[in-house]
Amino acid sequence: MEAVLIIKGIIILAIFALSLGIAAYETYFERVVAAYIQDRVGPDYAGPAGIFQPLADAGKLFFKEDFIPALADKSLFILGPSLAMLTALLTSAVIPFGDSFIYEGQKILVQGIEVNIGILWVFGIVSLGVYGILIGGWSSNNKYSLYGAIRAASQNISYELAMGLAIIAILMMTGSLSIRSMVEAQHGFNWNIFYQPLGFIIFLTCSFAECNRTPFDLPESENELVAGYHTEYSSMKLGLYLFSEYVNMFISSAVIASLYFGGFNYPGMDWVYSKFTSIWGATVGHNWATVIGICVLMAKIFFFIFLFMWVRWTLPRFRYDQLMDLGWKALIPLAVLNMIITAAAQLSGKPLWIGLILTLIIMLVIFLPAIKKRTVKA
Amino acid sequence: MDILGLLKNMTITHWSFYIVSMLTLFGALGTIMSKNPIHSVIYLILTFFSLSAHYIMLNAQFLAAVNIIVYAGAIMVLFLFVVMFLNLREENEELPKNSILIAASIVGGIIGITLIAAIRQTQIEKVNPYSFNTKTGLVETLGSLLFNKYLLPFELVSVLFLIAMAGAVMLGKREKGERHF
Amino acid sequence: MYPILFLSFSGLITLFLGFFQEGKWVKPATILFLAIASISAFIDWNKPGAYFFNMLQVNNFNLLLSLVILITAILIVAISDNFKEIEYAHSAEYYAIMQFSLVGAIMMTNFQSLIMLFLGVEILSVSMYVLTGTDKRNLRGNEAAIKYFLLGAFATGILLFGIAMIYGGVGAFEIDAISGTLASNQAQSLFLYIGLVMLLIGLLFKLAAAPFHFWTPDVYEGAPTIFTLFMATIVKTAVVFALYRILHQSFQNMHLSWSYILAGCIALSLIIGNLSAVKQISFKRMLAFSSISHAGFLLLGLLHVSKTADKSLLFYSVSYLLASTSAFGVLLALKNERTENGRSNENISVFKGLATRSPFLSAVLIISMLSLAGIPLTGGFWSKFYVLTDAANDQFFYLIVLALLLTAVGVYYYFKPIITVFEKSDIQEAITINPIFKIIFVLTTLGTLVLGLFPDLLYGMI
Repeated sequence: MEAVLIIKGIIILAIFALSLGIAAYETYFERVVAAYIQDRVGPDYAGPAGIFQPLADAGKLFFKEDFIPALADKSLFILGPSLAMLTALLTSAVIPFGDSFIYEGQKILVQGIEVNIGILWVFGIVSLGVYGILIGGWSSNNKYSLYGAIRAASQNISYELAMGLAIIAILMMTGSLSIRSMVEAQHGFNWNIFYQPLGFIIFLTCSFAECNRTPFDLPESENELVAGYHTEYSSMKLGLYLFSEYVNMFISSAVIASLYFGGFNYPGMDWVYSKFTSIWGATVGHNWATVIGICVLMAKIFFFIFLFMWVRWTLPRFRYDQLMDLGWKALIPLAVLNMIITAAAQLSGKPLWIGLILTLIIMLVIFLPAIKKRTVKA
Repeated sequence: MDILGLLKNMTITHWSFYIVSMLTLFGALGTIMSKNPIHSVIYLILTFFSLSAHYIMLNAQFLAAVNIIVYAGAIMVLFLFVVMFLNLREENEELPKNSILIAASIVGGIIGITLIAAIRQTQIEKVNPYSFNTKTGLVETLGSLLFNKYLLPFELVSVLFLIAMAGAVMLGKREKGERHF
Repeated sequence: MYPILFLSFSGLITLFLGFFQEGKWVKPATILFLAIASISAFIDWNKPGAYFFNMLQVNNFNLLLSLVILITAILIVAISDNFKEIEYAHSAEYYAIMQFSLVGAIMMTNFQSLIMLFLGVEILSVSMYVLTGTDKRNLRGNEAAIKYFLLGAFATGILLFGIAMIYGGVGAFEIDAISGTLASNQAQSLFLYIGLVMLLIGLLFKLAAAPFHFWTPDVYEGAPTIFTLFMATIVKTAVVFALYRILHQSFQNMHLSWSYILAGCIALSLIIGNLSAVKQISFKRMLAFSSISHAGFLLLGLLHVSKTADKSLLFYSVSYLLASTSAFGVLLALKNERTENGRSNENISVFKGLATRSPFLSAVLIISMLSLAGIPLTGGFWSKFYVLTDAANDQFFYLIVLALLLTAVGVYYYFKPIITVFEKSDIQEAITINPIFKIIFVLTTLGTLVLGLFPDLLYGMI
């Protein structure tokens, strides 16, 4: 029993460290990707190929002057970045990073906690994420910070709705709120993306908006608001804000991978599992299969992190009214439509590809006039 | 000494209950005592959060999550949003008159005393851990209750929401010839 | 039961009807829907029972109540005249919300579970908040809506808290279960008492009984007249019968505890309502205070748990509905009379010279005023008579005396409009009345007179 607890503790610590470590190296990847896209060299001074750049950055942030504006609300000014970091880290608790390890005949899930309400937990914490920005922006006592904070709040509220509606379609397919059972339902290559293409697009867009990444980075748009909500922040407080954004990105990628791309499932996993167990025996084979699963999930997560960066360095920022229009007039109706189609498909009992074709037809009917308009204008 | 003995006998559930309750009360008191409305709102968020912790201790995970999503995540964000827009600062806040304060504390005190008396008088049924249904308070149980016994009220709530939505749109809509804000 | 389901859907249809031909069909459709809903109520005739796991109770009396509410709604919709007095009118929304609010009202009279009561109260109140603020350009209307909303939301909160307390005391929401627990003769949980008091506070607020009446005059005055009428009639009836079900059918064994609270409220409502109404200039404000005093009378009918209480309450409600509809209707018919600031004149002075300008309207007004005052040969007399005989009891003897005294005060202020009718006015032109108005006025006035001359027609029938 003791050993099981210790292993569980190690897993939780590993997940925690992993989210921090990956977030740290995301800053490096971001620079590399940006450099690649802009045809530059990128960071290459600190260590081979600039591999120690995140450490150098962290060191720099720590030794900078920690400045609090005279008219700022001091306690809230400190609370802001702490909240941002806290909410960013809380989410990873419910994400299943792998199947399970067997130790002394007991299964230990590779997950912080397996709860009945997993996806709701993610959703709740994500909706809290905006407090860090709101409180920080307000307490700076700076016009631009306040604008940034208010933009962040309205943006998050608007996109949360569509996000929740997109998740409901998944819930209807799985019949459970637990992320683990959602992942297990996508065993092998039975990924949700094939049944929920529209839901995936909506969810992806909303997660961009929730992370305040370009093209939705209006809370910190530099040509309008100086630096938005963190204008007055310096040193490690600023570091926490920037860092929380990268943690959020990692978690979002993990959630997208788990919800739509099968999590730790991959095609041919049963074959791999049977091979491993036949080579190493039931216990060790199972554990190695789990390790492979974890690696597969990590690969998916890295792909989505790359997608986040790719989009950031290629797409321009939205105008604010465009952002609101997209959220309320496009994504929410589409999400409702997606929900209805999914519900109808579930109830009809027909094979899902019929629903899929129907989705395609409806999407075409909706988008064709828009596309035609575009071409006429052009 | 008696207190020390009590403290020793407390299980982890007791500890978490008392800590969470203290947090709840701290948040609730902070909400009504702080002069700055923004601080009030933040204390209120703390209160909702600790209430969610109470729900989890009562095995109502779904309620806890929904409480966080709806109250802490959506309603309080809007609250904070509006308060920030109004930019209420401490300077332009007036304390209510003393007479109102006194009357309010008397009424609140009386309700408090009656509630405490009622709780003292009640015999709380002990839950039998062996026959207790562990699914109580989870989504599945809640869902089957909502769609069986409470089907009619559940469906009629939609009428309420529709009225609220139609009313809000109707009242908030900008009419022809009205100016932009 | 069936009107609830039907109106939930017909409200939706009404919303969509607003798109076609500038909402021309909305009003006739609403009347049609209400008529169908009234007929659909008869599906349950002589089939007493409970619906949906004891959420709603159906019996002939409840059915009659729904019918009274629906028919009043038909009368009100008929005289609503497409809201030409409101700038930027969205008539489809108004009619839809009125239909939805009837869902709430019927839930409040037919409920069996306290959850349904809460939901009904909430549906009815939220629609009333919205309808109060419909005249967006009218600052008084906005003020009234905000006031009503803030205070009303608070009252609903107290009501919900009370329901939670009762659940804590009994462990059930059904009113049968509550009366069963109370009848078991054991020492009752304190929670029940706290819950009952809170429930009473919430409902008395909605009834506009003193000391929870502060919103009434402002809201009655600020809201568009048609919605004031809606508030004065339908909301009051629904709340009174909700109170009847709670006090007489579930808490009847705690009669000793609640009758004193009720007696206090009755005395206050009668005194405040009648005395404040005396000095009002605005007709709507006067009717607001008169509605407070009528709330007192309605509560008087609840004071004593007797077998005839339901009959006298229904009689009182019907006669009050008829008289109020005529009184507000006359004001609506005169809405083209403007004051200097361009708004409709809603003061008592608007009736000046009505006797020469339109004898028909003045007759309608006079009969409704007489009925509200409780003069014999009108429905108002018998309704007060039945309520007072029900309440006549040694325990609250002084209340009856007070009620009689204040009725005399009431006669004074109800006669003010009547006297104004016969005053000479500079304007002599005759008033043209919409034929629909005429039909409604004939119906309500005849109803008032018939109730006054042959009270047994209704009283004996129930």
